[in-house]
Amino acid sequence: MPEDPRKPWVVAISQALVRGAAPLVPVEQREEWLREWRAEIWHRWQFLFHTHEWNRREKFLLLRSALGAFADAAWLLASQESVRTRISGTARSPFTCLAALALILIGIAVGSSGLQATREMLFRQMPSKAGTLTFIWLHHYLGGSDKGLPADVVPAWDQGSKLLKGVAGLEVRHLPVSFAGRAVPENPLVISASPNLFDLLGIRPALGKFPAGTGVVLDHRAWVAFAKSQRAAIGSEIKISGQPYQVAAVLPGNFEFLSRQPTVYLMERLTYERKAFIAARVKPGVNESQLKKDLARIAAEVCYYYNLQNQLRVSTWREALLSPLMSFGIATALACFFACMAFRTSFEGIKRAFEPEQRKAAAGRTLFFLAKTGLALACVFVSGLEWSRSESSVLLASRDPGSGPFLIWLYVLGTMGVLFWAVADQRARCRVCLRLMAFPVRIGCPGSLLLDWSGTELFCSEGHGLLHVPLMAPSWDEESDRWISLDDSWKGLFAHEK
Amino acid sequence: MIDSAKLSHTAALILQTVDNGCSYGFDIMDETGLPSGTVYPALRRMEKEGWIASEWEADKKALAEQRPARKYYRVTRTGAQVLEQSQKRYPLLGKLSQKSRR
Repeated sequence: MPEDPRKPWVVAISQALVRGAAPLVPVEQREEWLREWRAEIWHRWQFLFHTHEWNRREKFLLLRSALGAFADAAWLLASQESVRTRISGTARSPFTCLAALALILIGIAVGSSGLQATREMLFRQMPSKAGTLTFIWLHHYLGGSDKGLPADVVPAWDQGSKLLKGVAGLEVRHLPVSFAGRAVPENPLVISASPNLFDLLGIRPALGKFPAGTGVVLDHRAWVAFAKSQRAAIGSEIKISGQPYQVAAVLPGNFEFLSRQPTVYLMERLTYERKAFIAARVKPGVNESQLKKDLARIAAEVCYYYNLQNQLRVSTWREALLSPLMSFGIATALACFFACMAFRTSFEGIKRAFEPEQRKAAAGRTLFFLAKTGLALACVFVSGLEWSRSESSVLLASRDPGSGPFLIWLYVLGTMGVLFWAVADQRARCRVCLRLMAFPVRIGCPGSLLLDWSGTELFCSEGHGLLHVPLMAPSWDEESDRWISLDDSWKGLFAHEK
Repeated sequence: MIDSAKLSHTAALILQTVDNGCSYGFDIMDETGLPSGTVYPALRRMEKEGWIASEWEADKKALAEQRPARKYYRVTRTGAQVLEQSQKRYPLLGKLSQKSRR
């Protein structure tokens, strides 16, 4: 079968790919490996050429097959004992653990548009006099989710309370909206609010005027998304649940209230059957219990709603904004408590580790433990914040089941998981070099204890020592895992590992 | 007793294909539809385990035909035993072998 004299570029590229993969192949196998791949590519080309099947598809398939040379070379590389040892050594290293956690954190940052929710929570622009801006809602005696109050308490509190400077009600819903005759895909967030809401928040419109009665205000994202940033949007018609309204104003771009979603504000008087969250300005020096007492009294006298005092929940703007941070703090404290209880038998060992002659090594271990735990906790905090709250209300978190109780449970379980993992991981590492222990060996004989082996021994791959882990830790033993340091006479046994 | 439990279905299929007479990588790829990145590492592993053996064709013959020499694979006796056990584990493989022999 004579070779076609014109070597096509596809064959040249395929052979170049094989040459590119060759450095991965161990030197002693490289020549034979190259010979086999080159021969295969040559025969495939010649076969297809002489059978008149050398078409575009076959060329592509040949290129794809040549790419497989990398997988083949990588397999040959990884099957080498020395490479496998190096890979497992690197995987056991403490730096790999920290790098993996840092990578997860970077992955979360990349997947969440640069930690948008976290940045918003920590660096959000506060409205004017944020310290006096308060949210009020209802939490039933018997538990359940947070609820709005009957909306007729809004005018009653506005007129009757001497502790408040202003009150506005707001109801958060997803409703069908159409703008300029076109339906907005997916029901956007519609906040029905008392007309004085923006005066209360101290916000001025970027375009138009806030309506004194019924009317619609678009937030900046809604204006960009629905009206394509056209000034002519002011005065145009918008339909909410089929009812026509007029767009009266557009909010400034830096204003963020409950959500990052495009939001339509329907300014209207809220009637008593509506359930409203309340935004209010509290006079300076008024404490929470005074406020609750006063508001419950007015609600009972004017609207005949009794026993509200213990069901009212009050939170300032700052508290509401930082509520995830508080939940996370409480969850971490809880997890620390449970971890301390679970691992209290190790305290004696920890105390011994800080004796003067071992202080330097103990400091290194402590630093690693703190860095590892800190990074893992940061991953839990940030991922919870970014993925459970991205599409729901940022404030009034528990208004939405996806952002309230879920987040709290995620934090409780996540922090507990992190702390238990961090302690267990720390125990499974060498006390000198902090590498994960290797070569587990079952010791004792089967049947000695509950039909199982009596324990396991793990070795440090660098020969620093061995860890004895009994199958069952007796309650009187202060520290069940035992670390036995190995002196230099053992080094020869581990020399091949290095 | 040879442990065929560590032989995946894909690897067993490749071993069966070699046994059916496909003796070089691209031929096995054509027959099984598997990519080169799967076939070649599997061949290396099976050769390491001693289930297949490879052999270069004589340079003299290849030179006479003005082409590079090719490496051929064949199933060893141990490989045949492994394949037999795999055919019990993956009954479709057995049918594949009967079909090709017919």
